[in-house]
Amino acid sequence: MLERRSALAVAHPFAWAALTLGEVRGFTLTQVAGFGNFAADVAATAGALPETSNQAVESNGRTIFRTGPHAFWFVGPENDDLAARLAGKAIVTPLSSSRTRISIEGRAAREVLRKGIPIDLHESVFTPGMFAQTGLHHTPVLLHCTAEQRFELYAMRTFALNVWEWLEDAALEFK
Amino acid sequence: MTFRRLPSGGRIDRNRPVGFTLDGKRYRGFAGDTLASALLANDVTLVGRSFKYHRPRGIMSAGVEEPNALFTLHDGARTEANMPGTIVDLIDGLTARTQNAWPSVELDVMGINQLAAPLFQSGFYYKTFMGPTKGAWMFYEPFIRRAAGLGAATEAADPDRYETRFDFCDVLVIGSGAAGLAAALSAAGGGGRVLLVEQDSALGGGLLSEPEQDGWLQARLGEIRNASNIQALTHTTAIGLYDDNMVVLVERHDHRQPDPAKGQARQVLTMLQAKAIVFATGAIERPLVFANNDRPGVMLASAVRTYLNRFGVAPTGRAVIATNNDTAYAAAFDLAAQGVEVIVADSRTEIPADLQRRNSIEILAGTSVVDVKGKNTLHAVLDGAEQRTITCDVVGMSGGWSPVVHLTSHGGIKPVYNAAIAGFVPGGFAKTHSGAGAVMGTFGLNAAIREGAAAGGGSIAIAAAGGEDRPYAIVPTWMPPRRKGKAFVDFQNDVTAKDIKNAHQEGYHSVEHLKRYTTLGMGTDQGKTSNIIALAEMAELRGLPIEQAGTTTFRPPYTGVSLGAIAGRTIGGHFRPTRRSPLHDWHAANGGVFIEAGLWQRAWYYRWAGDTPESAYVKEMGLVRRGVGISDVSTLGKIDVQGPDAAEFLNRVYVNGFAKLPVGKARYGVMLNDDGIVLDDGTTTRISETQFYMTTTTAQAGEVMSWLEFLLQTQWTDLKVQVASLTDEWAGMAISGPKARAALELAFPGVDVSDAKLPYMGCLDFSFDGVPIRLLRLSFSGELAYEVHLSADYAISLWEHFLKTGASLGLKPYGLEALASLRIEKGHVAGLELDHRNTLDDLGLGKMAGKEKDYVGKALRQRPMYQAPERWSLVGLELLEPEKRLRGGAILFAKDDKIEGHGRGYITSVTWSVELGKTIALALYNGGLKHVGEEIVCAFPLKNELTRAKIVSPHFIDPEGKRLHA
Repeated sequence: MLERRSALAVAHPFAWAALTLGEVRGFTLTQVAGFGNFAADVAATAGALPETSNQAVESNGRTIFRTGPHAFWFVGPENDDLAARLAGKAIVTPLSSSRTRISIEGRAAREVLRKGIPIDLHESVFTPGMFAQTGLHHTPVLLHCTAEQRFELYAMRTFALNVWEWLEDAALEFK
Repeated sequence: MTFRRLPSGGRIDRNRPVGFTLDGKRYRGFAGDTLASALLANDVTLVGRSFKYHRPRGIMSAGVEEPNALFTLHDGARTEANMPGTIVDLIDGLTARTQNAWPSVELDVMGINQLAAPLFQSGFYYKTFMGPTKGAWMFYEPFIRRAAGLGAATEAADPDRYETRFDFCDVLVIGSGAAGLAAALSAAGGGGRVLLVEQDSALGGGLLSEPEQDGWLQARLGEIRNASNIQALTHTTAIGLYDDNMVVLVERHDHRQPDPAKGQARQVLTMLQAKAIVFATGAIERPLVFANNDRPGVMLASAVRTYLNRFGVAPTGRAVIATNNDTAYAAAFDLAAQGVEVIVADSRTEIPADLQRRNSIEILAGTSVVDVKGKNTLHAVLDGAEQRTITCDVVGMSGGWSPVVHLTSHGGIKPVYNAAIAGFVPGGFAKTHSGAGAVMGTFGLNAAIREGAAAGGGSIAIAAAGGEDRPYAIVPTWMPPRRKGKAFVDFQNDVTAKDIKNAHQEGYHSVEHLKRYTTLGMGTDQGKTSNIIALAEMAELRGLPIEQAGTTTFRPPYTGVSLGAIAGRTIGGHFRPTRRSPLHDWHAANGGVFIEAGLWQRAWYYRWAGDTPESAYVKEMGLVRRGVGISDVSTLGKIDVQGPDAAEFLNRVYVNGFAKLPVGKARYGVMLNDDGIVLDDGTTTRISETQFYMTTTTAQAGEVMSWLEFLLQTQWTDLKVQVASLTDEWAGMAISGPKARAALELAFPGVDVSDAKLPYMGCLDFSFDGVPIRLLRLSFSGELAYEVHLSADYAISLWEHFLKTGASLGLKPYGLEALASLRIEKGHVAGLELDHRNTLDDLGLGKMAGKEKDYVGKALRQRPMYQAPERWSLVGLELLEPEKRLRGGAILFAKDDKIEGHGRGYITSVTWSVELGKTIALALYNGGLKHVGEEIVCAFPLKNELTRAKIVSPHFIDPEGKRLHA
């Protein structure tokens, strides 16, 4: 009876020749943190963890981002029981509702993102698999390069529609 | 006729004629023209009136340094004032207007200012500030403003679009003259990402005016086009250099006639980070200072050459070239080649033999132009070895060259004087910076190419240009010859050599004082042609070498920047980010009216209750006091605090105890900054032995989160605690009113929400329809109330479920206005009281603080000043004059006080009390509740109001808390 509703329910995804803007729905985001060598316990359950904080790792159907010295984000399928399986082994915080996952794809994608994201997005520098915790329009975002011309932006849910509106406006010249 | 378009030649596209207007009159030019070149081609030489004296002025230069030829472009909302015609690309339909002249530049009544010139001499502004009487400035200002000035900006909103963006590169090359091209190609050979930026409409810099080097230029441009790792941008100015090799670039697209409706930007501002920077910014020619050197037709010699070679515009008959160096001879020979009669007045007594051997021009050694006479025709007065007056179409002057050191010194490295070139060159470079070409004082073409190639990394060889480099051979001349008539140093600000003498006489010796006293170097050109001359003159007056007189500080921007480019798209709805609750869409679709609260859009009130906030909130308050309402509290800060030391951590953060809070219980807590001032309050619930669910006020959510992280990462690194923000993860809704429990029972059948199971300050976690629900029995309103928290994705669905199941109870939504007013009746403090100025005791919360335990802010809250009995503290107020109003911010006075000064306190929050049927307020008042029962005066000077009120307890309703525990 209770239904999920996206923060972008009123937004209009579009696909132009140079740019596609959309939303990825139905995922589970689990933040896992801890103390000491908790990472070993987590890896035993969830698979190898990334060593660096700019390269995502794909493992067991999940994308794993190292978001801090002692923290990871696991982005898994809609019905992921990871949180339950890690209970007691680490500090687990479910965050699936807290982030909205916006996809930006096309040959104009990097240029649109350059209008707001102050990191080097050149295709020789920000390559597929890399991610960055950065900012867009004064809000914190995690930007993940999933292919040469495709990105996923994890925006804070309460800012997500505004980030979307900002992207729509930034993209206008590529319509 | 003094100028004409040559039948062939130049870099203009003669197949593409372009129409434009000046002051409504139609003219034609060609694509590739600037506004200035097209005007000269149409023999328009008088294009403006000067700033102070309204002297007739013409085009002096062919670049960004132009002091005179400023125009107002376009019409209506697109009006843009003070644009140098020398950098405006001619586009079809361009409308330009002359400035600072009425009724026209030809017949300007303000020219009378010249007669009143003594009034307008340097320091005039300052003297009117100081006297002769106290009101002098007030008296003069309107006259000065009317008489002197530049173009006027429009007040209409700019209809164009502007973008800002970020970019990165390995090597940034600024300037695309010979040195810049060589640097870019050389750098590209190293494989890095090279960005070459050029402010002009075409790459080439000075080479665009040198037809004999066109072969070299075209070959290099071809190589640049073919280099996949060079991006070359024209119409792009590096306006400033900042820390960490950040350079701000502004790219102008006017020539493309961008359409804002299609998202096309008129200007793009790029914040560029470069690993290395090559400054190949060139040099700007200086005028010579002589009487009436500002007459239309007196131009820089290099500009005469540019108009001739790049734009195919030449003087018709005779030209006088006045110089103190070799470079002006290039113009002389090129003019002579076009059949112009050329006389060179060279102030040097010895002139290189090779120049003299070319007999196409007449050379007068040891001779200077000392005056220019004539109104419509120029008569150049020559003095020195030869004394003649020559009637001519143009005087081309060259006082030498000033390297464009601006950007190189933005980082704080002052330029230094190089006597050999009579100019300032960069005083050094940061590790990743280098310079090449004229900016370094290297004026020879091949030397510049070699220097550019080296600066670019030297990874590939760059072909040499044809011919030999010839010396610059300047013998500097700064001071004007002694003549009657104004000899201008700063043309734009009408500063003459005499003004500099006056400044010296009055003691303004430092170059910085000279600038401010005379206004020299200010304005749109920022003294690009005048600064060096002025400080050389001042040095001479002081008897100092130029290097000791120094330069003024160069600051960004190098050239004018439109405010639009700086703002970018940070305008209108994108001025700042907007934050929306997970319930936003429901409010919007169901009669919610929004109000901005910080970045949040919050539901202020609902249409069901009324069409104005005044009528609606009272009805919504009544709903909560007598029935049951539902309100969106998702904006509250929510923080997950987990770890074995979580309880100890919270016990230190809050003034009151949290160590022994039982699992399943909530507690109200207050935290202080380490200075003893209240930071925030909120309710924190113990979920398990090692997990707490903290809530904060909406306003301080981010600050509290940062504060907790700061404490854990720097102060108590031994505590095993992790914090995570849940503000966006969890939605919250308050169910408040005497029928709140009934509403919960209807919404969650089968869940025991009885007082025994869920008492006041209790917490119940359960699953509803597979979704985890956290039910907290808390009250902000003072009524029986609950907060329901759940994953934000399900918020609207659950909200609608409540409204549906609670319909029989009359359950309806209430907004922020009612929420905030209910808490005033209850006497709860909120953001207006927690304003980072008040202590625990000020807010009446001193008794909460733990006596035994330690907590952040404990030591400093004991400071005597914070404990002074006469400090203000929280009181309630009741309005005694029902026909009047209490207002937030009103200043409070005792009944018999004189109404002046800061009073004894102020009103923080006001509302109509549904319960009491009167206006009430919360306030801070010296001595606080000691004064209960006293009548006071609330002064609101903005509306000239004095209102009587009575001090009461801030707990207006249910002081025993019976309703909370119902």
